[in-house]
Amino acid sequence: MNLTRSFILAIILGLLSIIAWELYWRSQGRVPNIDDNNNLSSIQRAKLEKPSEDQVVFIGSSRILFDIQLDLWREKTGTEPVMLAFQGASPLPTLRDIVENTEFNGMIIVGVTEGLFFSTTFDKAPPISRAQERLDHYYDRTYAQRLNHYLSIPLQKNLAFVTVADEFWDSDVDLGTLLWTQVNDERAGPKPAPFYQFEDVSLDRNVQMNERTTNDTAYANTVKLAWQDMLSGDMPPPDKESTTNYFLKYAKKFTDRGGKIILLRCPSDGWFKEIETAGLPRTEYWDSLVFKSKLPAYHYDDYPQLRNLNLPEWSHLSKEDADFFTLEIIEILKKDGILTNVKTE
Amino acid sequence: MLFNSLSFVVFLTLVLVLYYMKLFNWTNKKRMLLLASYVFYGLWNPPLVVLLWISTVVDWTAGKKLAILEDKRKRKFWLLLSMFVNLGFLAFFKYGDFLLENFTSLMNVIGFDYEARPMDIILPMGISFYTFQTMSYTIDMYYKRIEPARTFLDFALYVTFFPQLVAGPIVRAKELITQFYNEKRATANEFIWGLFLLTIGLFQKVVLADTLLSGRADDVFGSKDILNSLDAWTGTLAFSGQIFFDFAGYSTCAIGIALTLGIRLPDNFHYPYAAIGFSDLWRRWHISLSSWLRDYLYIPLGGNRHGITRMYVALMLTMLLGGLWHGAAWTFVIWGALHGIYLVIERMLRSKIKIRINAWNGIILALLTYTCVNITWVFFRAREFSTAKNMIWSMFFLNEEGEKVLYMFDIVTVLIVITGLFICHWLMRNTSMKEVAQRTNQWVFGVFWAILFFLIVISQGSGEQFIYFQF
Repeated sequence: MNLTRSFILAIILGLLSIIAWELYWRSQGRVPNIDDNNNLSSIQRAKLEKPSEDQVVFIGSSRILFDIQLDLWREKTGTEPVMLAFQGASPLPTLRDIVENTEFNGMIIVGVTEGLFFSTTFDKAPPISRAQERLDHYYDRTYAQRLNHYLSIPLQKNLAFVTVADEFWDSDVDLGTLLWTQVNDERAGPKPAPFYQFEDVSLDRNVQMNERTTNDTAYANTVKLAWQDMLSGDMPPPDKESTTNYFLKYAKKFTDRGGKIILLRCPSDGWFKEIETAGLPRTEYWDSLVFKSKLPAYHYDDYPQLRNLNLPEWSHLSKEDADFFTLEIIEILKKDGILTNVKTE
Repeated sequence: MLFNSLSFVVFLTLVLVLYYMKLFNWTNKKRMLLLASYVFYGLWNPPLVVLLWISTVVDWTAGKKLAILEDKRKRKFWLLLSMFVNLGFLAFFKYGDFLLENFTSLMNVIGFDYEARPMDIILPMGISFYTFQTMSYTIDMYYKRIEPARTFLDFALYVTFFPQLVAGPIVRAKELITQFYNEKRATANEFIWGLFLLTIGLFQKVVLADTLLSGRADDVFGSKDILNSLDAWTGTLAFSGQIFFDFAGYSTCAIGIALTLGIRLPDNFHYPYAAIGFSDLWRRWHISLSSWLRDYLYIPLGGNRHGITRMYVALMLTMLLGGLWHGAAWTFVIWGALHGIYLVIERMLRSKIKIRINAWNGIILALLTYTCVNITWVFFRAREFSTAKNMIWSMFFLNEEGEKVLYMFDIVTVLIVITGLFICHWLMRNTSMKEVAQRTNQWVFGVFWAILFFLIVISQGSGEQFIYFQF
């Protein structure tokens, strides 16, 4: 048996088929993207092992992740942003981790999305477990995983079909997801509305809304449908008391050692704003948290210039408006003397 | 390090380049392989390499002593020392929490209000494999079945050889150490065949196990509800495929990688789902473990030399311990017990009923065997007895009212894959992949290989750990 010919043929055909696969997905409008996975967030978390005074840590959920643009923040404040906000997650586990497991005593900006912040402290519930999984990965990651991540970066940057996300997106093009998109029966119940990726991510976890979601209303509408699908039905009631107490406990520990905490409420719009206003009214949740914590707090609705920004899918700012929001927040914090080591222009 | 990871691609490329460069003589090539093996293991958790070193040093020393000592008591001491260290590692790292849990339950049952804090011991990857491998060396030395390893380097490489370090095959000293004595180079054909085996192993793991089957098994076994029969059966079948493709995939990769270095490892699977009966199954499934258990447990327990009752006891004990080898939980013990019972029943029937196997009744009996195997997989996969009980209930009482957790598309996908798996095993029952490849047109073979490669690449996966790493 002479295998050389078979081997050469397999290599040629294998490579050609991969090139064809890549070209096909590019022709469908897919572009290479970095995946916001556990490895990427672990690199951010590792920055707090040797904390420095010029670091500012962002925690919370996807709103602060999308709405604060790190390159602008770095440029205008001269501080080094550490992005530890996670999509669909509560900031509480991350705050506890920073307080308990690091010596960081700089500034933490907490993005408050009431539906997640006040959801629960139960460690198996998704808002907590999603954050905890990211943090656990930092502690548990092996050297092989780190190496795999670094080796995957050139592939992620250059190949549109490559996906190494820990999140599931219906727009992914790996074989498993492609098969999932073929499911069209309702035997196990109605299939969830497809949830397409709407973000561009850079290696420092700077997340921006992608152009397609901003410019293509139909695409943005798919994300809106996904939100409605996810948040309709029976949701567990918020647990205001225990989440507030949990937050206050760790916030006090942190401020006692000289750290600063800022609360930030990023904008929401449309149906999202309606359900938040109805289910988690500001006076009852946000105002109560601000009152009890006595921390500097910024709600977008208190600033006319932040009220009518563009949120193509109701929950996150478009890239242009995220830039604007970031600059405005920096200005506001400067005026209030909260950002003191600000770079002068 | 996982075979299905980018770091392994880089690692293997580097190893192969260094191995085939004329830079090193054979001894230095072996040193390089040994160092690479430690790197391979250490990239997961560096401190646990120390366990490998201890195991290596203890069994090397025991082997050396056993080679020269004639005094029975002293020989026994060295044998027991090796077993104490290796089984001690297993007992502490693998069974520590399990033993503590059971001790706590026992205390509570007999009236003591005792609560122990879980020790949360990290399970060193592949500990069950390399401890069994090193122990086999010392036991064989004790019984004077083999010659001692010529050098410490040869022995250390035998314990640590990276292709089979963390999930087997569990190779005997006489099969592997002797291969390290003379320089090995793969021929071009062997090298390419090794790469093909690596490809097909990865295909089994990445495409079949992780992409097509694992999610369905997880959906079903993750449910707390009483399931619809179709879901319960589909989930169990999916797991039967997943565990085969996962584990056989690893073994195939290991054999292929070793072959690219010119080293031959024994087969670990031989189309087990076409087995006719359970003796046949255990000659085909995880062959290196079942032969280890036969040689070092079943036969020393008496085997079939002391009458039928003793044989059944030996069989049951071997299978119970074999079950426990897979994991520190009672569900694994039940899994082993079921296999033990199957084997006992089979031997009882065999002495009373004589069946001449032909193609027609053979496939029926193979299907019957596979169905019985699936029942055991329920206990193997279920994390808790309540899950296993619900699953068995759903499977056998044709529960049409039960919860439906799988889409029809998923059910059809699983059934297609599993039917293909069973037919493939049946057709390949008395042949081998190499024989089939030799009969295949080389262009067709090349196209087939390219398809496997393409499917692996587009499946991508997130580097899921192999199931057997945890054993």
